[in-house]
Amino acid sequence: MPETQDALWYKNAVFYQVHVRAFYDSNGDGVGDFQGLAQKLDYLRDLGINAIWLMPFFPSPLRDDGYDIADYRSVHPLYGTLQDFKDFLAAAHERQLRVVMEMVLNHTSDQHAWFQESRSSRDNPRRNWYVWSETDTPYRSARIIFIDTEMSNWAWDPISKEHYWHRFFSHQPDLNYDNPAVREEMWDVMKFWLNMGVDGFRLDAVPYLIEREGTSCENLPETHIVIKELRAKLDREYPGRMLLAEANQWPADLRPYFGTGDEFHMAFHFPLMPRMFMGLKLEDRKPITEILAQTPEIPASCQWALFLRNHDELTLEMVTDMERDYMYDSYARDKTMRLNLGIRRRLAPLLEHDRRRIELMNGMLMSLPGTPIIYYGDEIGMGDNVNLGDRNGVRTPMQWNGSWNGGFSNADPESLYFPLIQNPVYGYQAVNVLSQKRSEHSLLSWMQHMIRLRRSTPLFGSGSIEFLYPKNHRVLAYVRQQGDQAILVVNNLSSSAQAVELDLRRYKGKILIEMFGGNLFPRIGDLPYLLTMGPYQFYWFKLRRI
Amino acid sequence: MADESILSDDFIRQLIDVGEVDILVGVPTHNDAKTVEPAIRAIQEGIVKTFPRERAVILNADGGSNDGTPDVIMGASIDELHRSFNGYTLRTLHAISTRYGNNPSSAAALRTILAAAELLRAKACTVICPESANIEAEGVANLLRPIYREHFDFVAPIYRRHKFEGVLLTNLLYPMTRALFGQRVREPYASEFAFSGRLGSQFLNRHQWSEEFKDYDPELELTVTALSDGCRVCQTFLGTRSPTKRQARDLVDAMRQTVGVLFSALDGTFAMWSGKTASQPVPTNGPEFELSVDPLRVNRKQLKEMFSAGVIELESVLKSILTSGTLSELQQLAKAAEDEFRFHAELWVKSVYEFAASYHKAVMSRDHIVQALVPLYRGRMFTFLVENRTASAAEVGKNIESLCLEFERLKPYLLELWNGRK
Repeated sequence: MPETQDALWYKNAVFYQVHVRAFYDSNGDGVGDFQGLAQKLDYLRDLGINAIWLMPFFPSPLRDDGYDIADYRSVHPLYGTLQDFKDFLAAAHERQLRVVMEMVLNHTSDQHAWFQESRSSRDNPRRNWYVWSETDTPYRSARIIFIDTEMSNWAWDPISKEHYWHRFFSHQPDLNYDNPAVREEMWDVMKFWLNMGVDGFRLDAVPYLIEREGTSCENLPETHIVIKELRAKLDREYPGRMLLAEANQWPADLRPYFGTGDEFHMAFHFPLMPRMFMGLKLEDRKPITEILAQTPEIPASCQWALFLRNHDELTLEMVTDMERDYMYDSYARDKTMRLNLGIRRRLAPLLEHDRRRIELMNGMLMSLPGTPIIYYGDEIGMGDNVNLGDRNGVRTPMQWNGSWNGGFSNADPESLYFPLIQNPVYGYQAVNVLSQKRSEHSLLSWMQHMIRLRRSTPLFGSGSIEFLYPKNHRVLAYVRQQGDQAILVVNNLSSSAQAVELDLRRYKGKILIEMFGGNLFPRIGDLPYLLTMGPYQFYWFKLRRI
Repeated sequence: MADESILSDDFIRQLIDVGEVDILVGVPTHNDAKTVEPAIRAIQEGIVKTFPRERAVILNADGGSNDGTPDVIMGASIDELHRSFNGYTLRTLHAISTRYGNNPSSAAALRTILAAAELLRAKACTVICPESANIEAEGVANLLRPIYREHFDFVAPIYRRHKFEGVLLTNLLYPMTRALFGQRVREPYASEFAFSGRLGSQFLNRHQWSEEFKDYDPELELTVTALSDGCRVCQTFLGTRSPTKRQARDLVDAMRQTVGVLFSALDGTFAMWSGKTASQPVPTNGPEFELSVDPLRVNRKQLKEMFSAGVIELESVLKSILTSGTLSELQQLAKAAEDEFRFHAELWVKSVYEFAASYHKAVMSRDHIVQALVPLYRGRMFTFLVENRTASAAEVGKNIESLCLEFERLKPYLLELWNGRK
């Protein structure tokens, strides 16, 4: 366990999201594993992050990249053994790195023993562990999430000759959370890992735990009861551990998942992410300030999880039709880049390999209210491969150096779980950790610097935010404040140089200290504070009274 | 670039804040607080519905209002649109305002709008009259769309008019610009129109903006610039035209602002218009021509009297302007009884062309030349009213078309006069 016992550690953390399969292959079988991940922990420590979010590593048929779990109490043999995981966890904790793991509560794989038993006969004791129906008519108001692949939320089981409920792929039957035995069993699963020392869970697909007729089967009160029950047990038996909600919802619908500080500690702010990309393309702060204005206050102990990209498509569920069309036109003109209601691309290709825009977006990620999560490989500007199907194009092996398999594995290239990115712009020969480590001006070095700055003060994780709304709408400016500390953040969303006048009169008398270089800027007076900014430039200023 | 000293520091700061735009809507105002709000709503709705992604600004150029007009414009929020039909823009919809002077001036207002459009690199611009109670969102969109989406350079409006409204337009401005420049733009002198950034910059940098010309309306010259510079021109139907302050002007002033400007513009564009031998229709969105024929009481008798008096009183002036044959015919006409009076098309067209040629040659003060045309116009107006008193809209349209053809037929006559062969 990391030394700091701060119960609110997640508020000031910088997370790194990684799939064990993709990071480093220690045994040359073409697939990353826990021993490999453990070997790369120094890299993560040096990057400056202090929490790792592990994607699913359980035994699974891997039809949904591990989100189809076949056994909750073990490790997929491709990734190592349970002991390997324990060793990795201990090594991470030694380096003061917290480990948060994925936990898919909503559904299992259809290969899970529970489902196999459940479908074996209608009177099996586990029959009621899943949601069965003689017809496919119940819960018609529930939307279909994977609209590109699924026609219905019901699937026919030829064995027990009934339909079973699934909100995601048909090979992922939903567990029945109306059954107390299921709830007890899942808590028992969580305890299994908590006892080992994991620092928290990212709970997948939480809005869908409960179904009720005539509703959307999302965000139901009964779902919150299940979560409150889990949280109470966690606080009682494992204080200091954390629950992170994956709930792709509007801010007002997300807010209940924090409860009164008695449900989730953290939740992803899904609607903000596409609006950051939209604001950048529109060169207008409007989408960002509007969604943050709609974002309700959350309890002091809670935190938003912010991200630019992750293992899924850049989801456009939480935008309007007009905004979605604009995003497609701007970021995915090639229709193969589109998947479901989203865009399956990594950060660097989305931003056309433009270092200034990548830095600006990371600057906003690190300075807006919430805990930033960096997706593996984005710290070096890795590319993607839409030809791999589904969302696999953003899940390719980590690019460590320019040698054999990009330093990821000693296996034959043909036996890698996915091929490496090989194109001249984003390929591992051009984009890799080793070459970027050698340059203090590389994206990797810049990210290290950025993360250090972010972690240099708890203000970013816990402070308030006040938007300044300068008349120049291309500039997004805000003051983060905590106690008598204040940081002014000014972002130029435009591709051209801008002049902006900021009303800083309430900070009159303070001087500005630019945080990256430490240089002084003029003292704030009565007049509007004039700044000139280069294309996509941003500033972080400490406001100091000296 | 033209001298930009007309733009105040405060206005420059506003332009800096707005930055580059795709769409610019100019609203020239002077004490329009009571009427401007519906026009602003229509502009906002037009942008929200048709250009929700584009960078847009509403620019108020105010001529010294003391009734709070700029405050009305700046205070108009688009939140109402969101409530009424869930309309919104992806970007900030800007509204900025500047006072170009303490007295209204069409030239100063347009110059301010053009200068701002150039500095903001606006792709499509339109000017909307603040008195346009009838302007609708669709109209605003229809003005801008051809510029922004179809690469036109100039969009002129078409209004539904009463058959006796805009007689100067139907009897001189339209037929003469059509005959000379070869394109059938129905409303060459409009208070609402749209233009490309390219045309705007061209006009800004070419037009005479000096003090001497500050009282002249430049709109007709902008149309002429578009027609003579090979720009892509189209028209769009905007519905019924609201009464404007312009219409309340006295006739002499109206002639200066229109006929004077047209005559003046012919000098610099001779090379272009002299080669045109016929006219072509321009692409039009909506009906090309729409007249209403509601009964309207007009004092015709006074017109005829003013014509006769003018021809007699201005004989010495007219001698310098007109050919002897034309003057003689007009003098005969001045003696005619009211029921026999008919200022026929050929005589009217010849008179106008002779005035244009004399204006070109500056046979006397150009302003006097324009003023001397006023009584003749009144005579022609009398005949137009009589001829069309009971005419249907279609018949009036046919008569106007016939006059247009007369202007086209007699164009060689103008060329001869122009070149001094007559």
